[in-house]
Amino acid sequence: MQIAILVAKAFIIQQVILGLASFCTWVERKGSALIQDRIGANRAGVYWNPKNPLLKIFTPIVKVFGVLGVVNTLLNDAIKALLKEDFVPEGTSTFMHALGPFMAVLPVFLAYCVIPMAPDFEVAGYTIRMQIASLNTGVLFILAMGSIAVYGVVLAGWTGNNKFSLLGALRASAQMISYELAMGIAFATLILSYGTLDLYEIIEVQKSGWGINPLYYPTGILSFIILFIVGMAETKRGPFDMPESESELVAGYFTEYSGMKFLLFWLGEFAEIALFAIILTIFFFGGWHIPFVELPEGVWWAALVGHGVLMTKVVFFCVLQIVIRWTLPRFRYDHLMNLGWKGLLPLSLFNLMITAAIVLWGMNLS
Amino acid sequence: METIVFYLLAASIVFTGVAVVAMRNPIHSALALVCNLIGVAAIFASLQAHFLATVQVIVYAGAIMVLVIFVIMLLNIKEEKPARERFLLLGGVVLAGFAFFVALSFVFLHQFQVTPELTDEITGSVANIGRVLFTKYVFPFEAASLLIMAAIVGSIMIAKTKRREVS
Amino acid sequence: MVSVNHYLILSLLMFSIGVTGFVIRKNAIVVFMCVELMLNAVNIAFVAFARMHGNLDGEIAVFMVMVVAAAEAAVGLAIIIALFRNAKSVDTDDAAELRL
Repeated sequence: MQIAILVAKAFIIQQVILGLASFCTWVERKGSALIQDRIGANRAGVYWNPKNPLLKIFTPIVKVFGVLGVVNTLLNDAIKALLKEDFVPEGTSTFMHALGPFMAVLPVFLAYCVIPMAPDFEVAGYTIRMQIASLNTGVLFILAMGSIAVYGVVLAGWTGNNKFSLLGALRASAQMISYELAMGIAFATLILSYGTLDLYEIIEVQKSGWGINPLYYPTGILSFIILFIVGMAETKRGPFDMPESESELVAGYFTEYSGMKFLLFWLGEFAEIALFAIILTIFFFGGWHIPFVELPEGVWWAALVGHGVLMTKVVFFCVLQIVIRWTLPRFRYDHLMNLGWKGLLPLSLFNLMITAAIVLWGMNLS
Repeated sequence: METIVFYLLAASIVFTGVAVVAMRNPIHSALALVCNLIGVAAIFASLQAHFLATVQVIVYAGAIMVLVIFVIMLLNIKEEKPARERFLLLGGVVLAGFAFFVALSFVFLHQFQVTPELTDEITGSVANIGRVLFTKYVFPFEAASLLIMAAIVGSIMIAKTKRREVS
Repeated sequence: MVSVNHYLILSLLMFSIGVTGFVIRKNAIVVFMCVELMLNAVNIAFVAFARMHGNLDGEIAVFMVMVVAAAEAAVGLAIIIALFRNAKSVDTDDAAELRL
C-alpha cells in the first residue's frame, strides 16, 4: 500500500511538472509573439473539418486551441521533433551525446521530490502528504540538484565537438557556478529566518497572517530580489542567456542536437523555470495559503483548493520570468560576471549578516 | 534489503573507481569520478549521515568536479598515449596495489574480529551536525574558513597571467 | 546484515584503487582525481566509525576533509593551469625538472 501511494504521488507530481512545462512552452511561443507585436502560432487546427459526428463535437475546442497556438506548440512541434533525424556529430560517442540531454532533465525532475504540492489530507485512514520525500535536508537537496544540472550542459557542449558548443558550455558552467554562491547564501538567509529546512514546514510557518514574522520583512525583500535574479541566471534565460546567444554562438551548447534530444533541453529549461517559480512561491508568498482565509485541515477538497492556489501563484511567476526574458536585452559577459561576483555575492552576505543579527536579537527578546 | 543496497552501491563505487584509473580520456575518467562520488554520497545516506550526503553532492560533484571538467575542457587535454613499453612495470604496480589491499584487509579483519554492529543512537541530520560544529568544533570551523581564504588568494595568484609590458 | 567491516573493506578497496592510479597515471589531472578518490575512501571509513560509536565526531572530520579538498582543488587546478601554460602539457613527466 505504501509503495502504491508513493507511485501514485510520483505520477501526479510528474504530471504537474509536465503540465507546467507545456504551459510555459505555450506562453513562450504565443506570449513572445504578443510582446513583439506578431501573431505567432495560429495555423494548426484551422483545417479541422471532420465528417464524423463524434469528432465534430470537438470542433469548437480545436478551433479555439488552434487559433491560440496550443495545438501548434504542444502537438505539432512534438510530432515534428519525433520524426526528425537523430543527428550525432562525427567523432563523439553516441552514448555520451545522449547523456547530455538526459543529465539536463534528470536533476530538475529529482529536485521536485522534496517539493510539497498540496496540504495534507486523509484518504481511507491514510494521511497523505503530497511530497515524494520529506528529507531533513530539503532545501539543501534542491541546491545539490541545481549543482548537478551543470553536467548536462557540459556534456552537451563537449560532445558537440565544435568550438561554438564548447564556448557555450564553458560560459554556462562558469555562470552557473558563479551564481550558485549567491543562491546558496540567499537560501541560508531564508533558512535562518524560518528555522527549518523542510519546505512543508516553511509553508506552515507562514500560516498566520501571510508571511514571515514582520521582524524579518526588510531582509526578506532583499533576499527575494537576490533569489529572483539568481533564478533567472541559473535557468540560463532572460537577460542572462549568454551560453546560447544566437548572434555569437549559433545556439550555444545544444547546437549539435536535433529532434527529441533538442526538445529535452527545452523541457528541462521550462521545468527549471517552474521549479524556481515554486521555490519563490513557497519561500515568500505563503505556498497554498490564501491571505486572511484559513482552509480546513485534512479534507480532500481543501487539498485541491490549496493546490490550485499554489499553481496560480506559480503560473504568475512563470509568466513573469518569460515576460522579462522577452523584454530585456542580453547582458555582456563581463557585466554578467561582475553582477554575480561583485554585486549579488556581497549583497547576499550583507543580507545574511543582518538577518543573523535580527534573529539573535529576536531570540534575546523572547 | 539494506544488504542488497550496500552491495549494489559498493559494486558501482568500485567499478567507477577502476574506470577513473583505467580510462584513457581525462573527461571519461572525470565523469566516472562524478558517478563514484554520487555513489559515496548514497553510502553516506545509507549510514544516516544525511547532511554529509547532501554536502558531498554539492561540494564534490557540484563544485570540485565541475571545476576539474572545466579545466580539462579549457586546456583541451587530449588522450594519453598508451605506455606499452612499460607494461611489466604497470602490471607490477597494479599487483602491488592489490597486495596492499589484501594485507590491510587482513589487519582490519584481525582488528575487528567481533564485527561491531552499527548503532542508531544519533543521526547526522543538519540540526545535530550544526549543534556539534558550532559548539565543540567551533575553532576548527573558523580555521577552515581561514584555509579557504588562503586557498582563494593563492589560486588567483598562481593562475593569474602576468601582464606583458609594452616594449 | 551490514557491519562496519563491510564499509571498511569497501573503503580500503577504493583507497587501493586510488593509490594504484596515483602511481600509474601520468596525466596531472587524473593524478589529482586519484587523490580525491583516496580522500573519499577515508571519508567512508570515518562515517562508518561515527555510526559505530554513535557520536558525530567522525562526521565533523569528514566535513573538514571536504573543506580541505575544496581548497586543494582550487590551488591544485591553478597549479595545473600554470604548468600547462609553461610546459604546454599536463604530463607529469614533462614537469620532472625543477625549471621550466
